[in-house]
Amino acid sequence: MTQLEELFKKDLVTNFGPDKMLPDLKFAEMEPGWDCGGGTYTITKEEVEKFAKLMGDSNTGEVNIPIGMIYIFGLRICWDRKVFIDQAVRAGDRITFFKPAKIGDTITTKLSIADKKEVQKEKDGKVRVNKFLFINMNATNQDGDKITDVQMSFLLPRTMQ
Amino acid sequence: MANVGDTLESKSISVTQDLINEYAHICGDYNTLHVDVEGMKDHPLFGGTIAHGTINVEPVLQALCAIQKTTWPLEGTMINLQFRAPVKPGDTIASKLTVKDTKSEGGKTVLVCDLAIANDKGTDCVKGNAEIPLP
Repeated sequence: MTQLEELFKKDLVTNFGPDKMLPDLKFAEMEPGWDCGGGTYTITKEEVEKFAKLMGDSNTGEVNIPIGMIYIFGLRICWDRKVFIDQAVRAGDRITFFKPAKIGDTITTKLSIADKKEVQKEKDGKVRVNKFLFINMNATNQDGDKITDVQMSFLLPRTMQ
Repeated sequence: MANVGDTLESKSISVTQDLINEYAHICGDYNTLHVDVEGMKDHPLFGGTIAHGTINVEPVLQALCAIQKTTWPLEGTMINLQFRAPVKPGDTIASKLTVKDTKSEGGKTVLVCDLAIANDKGTDCVKGNAEIPLP
């Protein structure tokens, strides 16, 4: 385990949510509002400094943490909750920023299905149906203040039924 | 005060497989697309590993703070992104924000911008738009 792995070890995050994970669902079962679960974590100064160094960010958290950290914790929760289906390709994000996050904050991130779409695409005389899934990732602090809302969209692998 | 047509401050990062691996370690996202260097060599779309989408976004997140002279985007800041092309190890990616309109909301000036994140070969890997309130 590298120093960074040790620093960001999984027990910093407490996960919660239904037993059933997203990849257990068929596409037809992926309905808007479905609760993918979530997690909580407390931001430490050490984590912030390491993250800033990795990303070359001059913000080392004296006032607010680097924004990308909210993303990175969210990603870990997404992975733990299996929101990221292997070979699914990220198509886009819509991010809205609210209150800043600070060292010592305990952040709760919740994930749910926002929408799904099937888009027909014709190429070389063949019609393909691309399946897209939209996931909401909402982060709040210990006072219930919104930190960020992110809506992620994914192109699902062709093997997804 | 920025005007329509102005290009705003840019930030860039150099992406390496080491950075992708470290990012995977800390976020736990070990999707084979990002970390399976050998297995991805024959991938029909990418022909190699690609960076996490959130790494692609990092330059614009840092640029937002630089533009607003803050350490966290002001409340109401919004970015909308579409990932158009993969970012691969070896790429240097930079944010491009161009003011296409301005509006007033809650007594603040909001810059409505076209947004792109381009690699050093001139490809826009991410395109989208942003609404950036000014302090």
